[in-house]
Amino acid sequence: MKDPCSSISKLLEKYFDQQVTDKERSLVESHLRDCPNCQGELRSMEKLKDLVKAPIEGAVQEEDFHWVWQKVQRGIQLRERSTGWESLRSWLDLSPLFRKRVLIPVAATIAVLLIAAQLLFKEFSSYPRLSGVEYIESQTHNVMIYESEKAKVTVIWLFEEPEQEPSIS
Amino acid sequence: MNQGEAELISRCQQGDQDALKEIFDQYNKRVYRIAYGVVRQREDALDIVQEVFIKLFRSIRNFKGRSRFYTYLYRLAMNTAIDHVRKAGKYPASSLDQEGVLQPVDGVEKGPDRILLHKELERRVNLAMGKLPIDQRTALVLREVEGLSYQEMAEAMGCSIGTVMSRLHYGRRKMQELLKDYVKRGEEE
Repeated sequence: MKDPCSSISKLLEKYFDQQVTDKERSLVESHLRDCPNCQGELRSMEKLKDLVKAPIEGAVQEEDFHWVWQKVQRGIQLRERSTGWESLRSWLDLSPLFRKRVLIPVAATIAVLLIAAQLLFKEFSSYPRLSGVEYIESQTHNVMIYESEKAKVTVIWLFEEPEQEPSIS
Repeated sequence: MNQGEAELISRCQQGDQDALKEIFDQYNKRVYRIAYGVVRQREDALDIVQEVFIKLFRSIRNFKGRSRFYTYLYRLAMNTAIDHVRKAGKYPASSLDQEGVLQPVDGVEKGPDRILLHKELERRVNLAMGKLPIDQRTALVLREVEGLSYQEMAEAMGCSIGTVMSRLHYGRRKMQELLKDYVKRGEEE
């Protein structure tokens, strides 16, 4: 046979917390009239409630919250002053690109790339710039002349026949 | 939410500190109860109250009135208190020694033996609360101290009513077990 207390025990806590429906309340109350076990369970919940509540209520009675409000005001003023700086900081904190762990390697990579680009540019700019091209055709030979202004170098291609590879002189 | 409260909140959302002061006067004790209930240490609880109202002033623009204002505030208080406990790393079980004796409210209870009993009882309750998982501890405070309904607790804790009931049930069971001497004494009375 099913123990009536076990089915009521599920409702007992709801009853204690005043969260039952009218129907559930009458069910619990009719059971409680004849059940010392559940009456004891209810009293123990009541006692526990007092134990949890009493120290907190005692602590509240001892406090004067006037000075806490003053601290709240000071806190708000301080934060308002630093709002601009904080918003920048919080943006930096939030943006993954600017986090320290990312920022330092990124800065180092950019520096290396800049140095490499500068070196490459220097090397590239040291190549002789071709300032003049001249092409001369005749019956026996075709000649192509490249002349660099800066390095004063002249490159001449001599084509003996149209099918032949050009030879440099 | 009544019209007066809606107006107060609207003023606060526009940055009116006088409106915040009115909200503070209305709710400071309730916020303190939650804070003290969770951290059980006076100084920390007061710091939490301060932090909650500063946070409220900064975040109240986000309050759209979809939930009740006090559940919004309770949630802020609860989360701040829980963060505080997590940052501290452990429950301050020895808080009573730093705070001194709980003052009896009743004048008849001023004898030194009675004060010692109060102190011992509070120490035991503090230790027992400290052994509860933080969600069960918070559920007990919201229900037993603040008297919130299951629905209000679910709103404040951001969970279902079923979860609220389960947290309360297991919290109570564990507290009854840990404080069985005191709870039994209550049964016999």
